[in-house]
Amino acid sequence: MTNLVAAAEGHEAHAGLIGVAFYIGLVLLLMFGILAAAKKGLNSKVFKNAWTQRTEQLYLFIENMAVGIIGAHGRKYIPMLITFWMVIFIGNMVALFFPYAPTADLSFNLGMALVSIMYVQFEGIKANGFFGHFGHFAGPKLGGIMALLITPVIFCIEIISELMKNVSLSLRLFGNINGGHKAVEAMNELGHTVYIPVGEFLLPIKLLTVVVQAMIFTLLTCVYLSLVTHHEEHHDEHAHGEDHLHEAHAAA
Amino acid sequence: MSQQEKNSSIPYPVKLVVGVLLMVGGTYLSLNSEKYLPFQKGLAEQGLPLDLGITVAVIGVFLMLFPVIQIFYLNPLSDAINERTSELEHTFTEAETLRSEMTKMRNDYEQRLAATEAEARSQIQAQIKEAQELRQSLMAEATAKADEMVKRAAEEIESEKQKVLSQLRTEVVTLTLAASEKIIGENMDTDKNRKLIAEFIEKVEVPS
Repeated sequence: MTNLVAAAEGHEAHAGLIGVAFYIGLVLLLMFGILAAAKKGLNSKVFKNAWTQRTEQLYLFIENMAVGIIGAHGRKYIPMLITFWMVIFIGNMVALFFPYAPTADLSFNLGMALVSIMYVQFEGIKANGFFGHFGHFAGPKLGGIMALLITPVIFCIEIISELMKNVSLSLRLFGNINGGHKAVEAMNELGHTVYIPVGEFLLPIKLLTVVVQAMIFTLLTCVYLSLVTHHEEHHDEHAHGEDHLHEAHAAA
Repeated sequence: MSQQEKNSSIPYPVKLVVGVLLMVGGTYLSLNSEKYLPFQKGLAEQGLPLDLGITVAVIGVFLMLFPVIQIFYLNPLSDAINERTSELEHTFTEAETLRSEMTKMRNDYEQRLAATEAEARSQIQAQIKEAQELRQSLMAEATAKADEMVKRAAEEIESEKQKVLSQLRTEVVTLTLAASEKIIGENMDTDKNRKLIAEFIEKVEVPS
């Protein structure tokens, strides 16, 4: 409880197990509340319930993104992508009104990133076989002495690159949300003497961050899935996937 | 078992069990981090607040969350969208069928209309031709009748004329005789004189 209070006062970047569990519970409660409200509107032919309409739009948006980036087989990843999107979006929304949020916790974000990257590796192995998937990390096939010199180096770099995807995904989200809190606190200190919460003027930017970070995490997961499940169609698709990757990184 | 669960190689119960185990294990790790993960303190001091116990627990939470959200909301939503799409497709197919039927009926109607118009036109032409033939025959008959009537009238006129001329001749003879009788003073009404006068009149008569 001490951790929770400390987190609520915004003095710590880490709320501890109970604090994080509380905020995860809050996010899940809100998420299931929204989904339950949306589920009531599924009975009619035309979705008139506002929550149903919003979640349908989200579903179609994620479906378009998955099919557009991964291909027709991308539909099977929709549950995972929507779950990521909703958890991050609602977590970020919680961060707007509460001094702490799950997405402002590095451990939580690292957990999500690990789930995403482990799932990507799992799908890669499923699509290309164990040796096919990890063989791709060795880069182009070289002959002779070059294979002995270059291939292990490329393999190590690719493995580090894969590991860094976890760091990239988690630190980006952590930095944006926790950084938002820090920026608000710092700006509030500026107006503290005249009792003006200057930091609240950052709300429009934080609102943008809420959506953008949810989209980037989901989009990057799609791109990573696309890269590991398109090896048979290879270079064109690979280039296409890397274009998406560059776009996502540019947006981030 | 839903289609999406069939696509997934890991069954839902396994995911749930693994998720619960990871969550419990992560919680245990987080509560005993000083014992099992002592390096975290150093990271926190360097400004990197990381609790790998929470990370493991979060992985467990997500493993449970994916199937739960899928079963709780995404499958019903997907079913509702598919049902609506199939209903729309059905409606569109029905509308398309009705449209093609309507087009077919319109073509039939147009063909029948064209056939009827052609038949009516040919009948009208036949009637016109028949009427023209009838007119020709009636005209010919009327002309023949008129000619006959004119001829008969001319014959009657000629006959009446001859009759009148004969009567006139008789009257002239009678009047001449009567006048001669008055002049001469004697009865000259003999058959011989009457014959002579008639012959004379015939000679002097102007041909008509």
